[in-house]
Amino acid sequence: MGKDKFLNEKPEKLTYSGVFKKIDNWARARSLWVVAYGTGCGAIELRPTFTSRFDAERFGMRMVGTPRQADVIVVSGYLTVKTLKRVIRVYEQMQSPKYVVALGACPINGGMYYDSYNAINRLDLYLPVDIWVTGCMPRPEAILAGFKRLQELIDDGKADGWKKYIEALDWYRGNQRKIIKNWRMPNYNW
Amino acid sequence: MSTEEVRLFIGPQHPGVTGNMSIEVLLKGDTITWAKTHIGYLHRAFEKLMERRIFIKSFPLVCRICVPESDTNEENLARGLEELADIEIPERAKWIRTLVLELSRLQMFIMWYGGIAGSMGLSTPVQWGIGDRDYILDLFEELTGGRVYHIYILPGGVRKDLPEGFEERVLKTMDLIERRLPEYDELIMDNAVEQKRLKGLAPIPKEWVEEMGITGPVARACGFPYDVRKNSPYEAYDKLDFDVITEDGCDVWSMLLVRRREIDLSIKLIREIVSKMPKGEFLTRLPNVLYWEIPKGETYVKSEATRGEFGYYIFTDGSGKPRRVHVKGPSFIHGITLLERLLVGQNIADVAPILVALQICPPEMER
Amino acid sequence: MNIIERLKERFEVLIAEKKRKDLLIIETTKKGLIPMLFYLKEYEGYRTLTLISCVDWIEDKKFQMSYILWNFRMKANIIVKFMLDRENPDFETVYKLWPQAEAYEREIHEMFGVNFEGNPTQNEELILEDWDNIPPMRRDFDTLKYSMEKFGEREPKSRINIRKEISEQYDEWRRK
Repeated sequence: MGKDKFLNEKPEKLTYSGVFKKIDNWARARSLWVVAYGTGCGAIELRPTFTSRFDAERFGMRMVGTPRQADVIVVSGYLTVKTLKRVIRVYEQMQSPKYVVALGACPINGGMYYDSYNAINRLDLYLPVDIWVTGCMPRPEAILAGFKRLQELIDDGKADGWKKYIEALDWYRGNQRKIIKNWRMPNYNW
Repeated sequence: MSTEEVRLFIGPQHPGVTGNMSIEVLLKGDTITWAKTHIGYLHRAFEKLMERRIFIKSFPLVCRICVPESDTNEENLARGLEELADIEIPERAKWIRTLVLELSRLQMFIMWYGGIAGSMGLSTPVQWGIGDRDYILDLFEELTGGRVYHIYILPGGVRKDLPEGFEERVLKTMDLIERRLPEYDELIMDNAVEQKRLKGLAPIPKEWVEEMGITGPVARACGFPYDVRKNSPYEAYDKLDFDVITEDGCDVWSMLLVRRREIDLSIKLIREIVSKMPKGEFLTRLPNVLYWEIPKGETYVKSEATRGEFGYYIFTDGSGKPRRVHVKGPSFIHGITLLERLLVGQNIADVAPILVALQICPPEMER
Repeated sequence: MNIIERLKERFEVLIAEKKRKDLLIIETTKKGLIPMLFYLKEYEGYRTLTLISCVDWIEDKKFQMSYILWNFRMKANIIVKFMLDRENPDFETVYKLWPQAEAYEREIHEMFGVNFEGNPTQNEELILEDWDNIPPMRRDFDTLKYSMEKFGEREPKSRINIRKEISEQYDEWRRK
């Protein structure tokens, strides 16, 4: 038995381009499945967003229970060190292409928790973020606007945070290991 | 090997848990033989941060302690500081606070009523519950400017007076919600599956209630008339006319009944508050809040949240910042001490309804 | 005979203060605490433990431990507190009296470093994971410094800079 391919080699780059890529992006932008993980307080506004009043399903978005089927992870607000570890694991289990949406002021520069010993200050040191939605907490309309913008970026092929994560994995890993002291996670060596 | 026990982690990324927490269980077949709650995923060190901030700056922090029901926190902290600094607040402020608290309880109960159905896979009431809750959030938005976090209750009263015509809109919304409730009942209460699964589920021994400090609807479902609004009235609750709701089943079904009746009670109380709302000032003059110093002292204030007794243990040391504010969330006991014992012997499929029935709110456990 | 006198008769009461109609604050000594809690639970009807709390009075080199009890029939709270030496904070558990004390003591052990003898789970992590510093709720722990070192500084952008940027943008717009 050889070594597991998934663990040791970087995923192959997509080689096709042109019209196929365009169709791909068009389809991807219109069915974004969001992994159901309420990492922080912003999760309370995700519920109205995804239920009857604001109804994000109009835009092809819905909640899904497992990370393997999801395209988007929403980091809803501040992240504690303990949750960051779980978010990284969830993110790495998701299938590419995958996108990160950060809600609120806290993941940008710490927000009101800038002096807290347990909440991280900048999320983009640890994960590649595609869309920032500001506000504390962002209203459902703001979240929808953010997702609309994400769809436009995917349509244009510009939402490539997941590629950045593969290319600069060492840098991201270094940052992650700096704050997660006891690294007991499966290591993806690509 | 069929009798071997399986270790399973439920959460933190799991649609069935009520927030960012996780439960570790040992399974024998379908039955749970051991359970442990893991918390700490939402620990933002509020109590430490409050030590570094002046009193008035603590208010944007405390409303984030329990996200769906933020006003209880503000009211508790404001009342505690008023008691320590010896400030009397105007009568109208008390009534406005009571109105806000009761509205906040009502929106949480409606969301919960949908949520208990959702925890068993009945997803229509979830959509309704969150949709109908939005009507109350609209009222909050008109009153305070924010949907979820209000920062409306401050020491000395409330931030703004009620807008013109607000009372009528409150009453209109109450009529609307009352009209919608029979539809919920038809789907949830008259549902054979719900009845079969919830009746007799997870019975709590009666002696646990006093021993463990179980409060709120969970205690009331065990026949204990424990309601902070009645036992130690705060704000304007002593001028309102209501009885404590109790059921005698001790199981999840009784908790459902208690909360269903609490919705009716909340609507009734809101109508009563609106009809009795006095005229007058809504805010007393405080000293300059930037240099506000409170003499040394300690006090424990509590109020009735939807989940149980919510307490604030406040210490001041004569400076402009609190020495310590210890927040006692009801979920701390429900989520750790009670849940770990209650889950033993239950079916793995019933974990989600039990979690929702105890209404565990992780951010208030770890602050 | 009210409860303060009954307590004074049996135990060492340093301070007794009636804070509110339904709130009584009693200060006792380290030795007298657990017998007093037992007495209050078994004979006075304060059967429920609501909260265990700890405060760091670093100037006096003391931890204040507070136990809040609730009497269901009298509808009253009582706070029993005592001062614990900050240098060697050792105390006993009350987990035999109330099961929820286990979790409260576990939290205090993690946040203040108080050692509760006899508590079976106090060394397990409750809230923090892989903590590498002194217990964080102690007053001499500087959370801002720790956050700066671990998570990086907040980007410095003073209000004057923002105003300058805005005025530059405005000038540009006018030139067009």
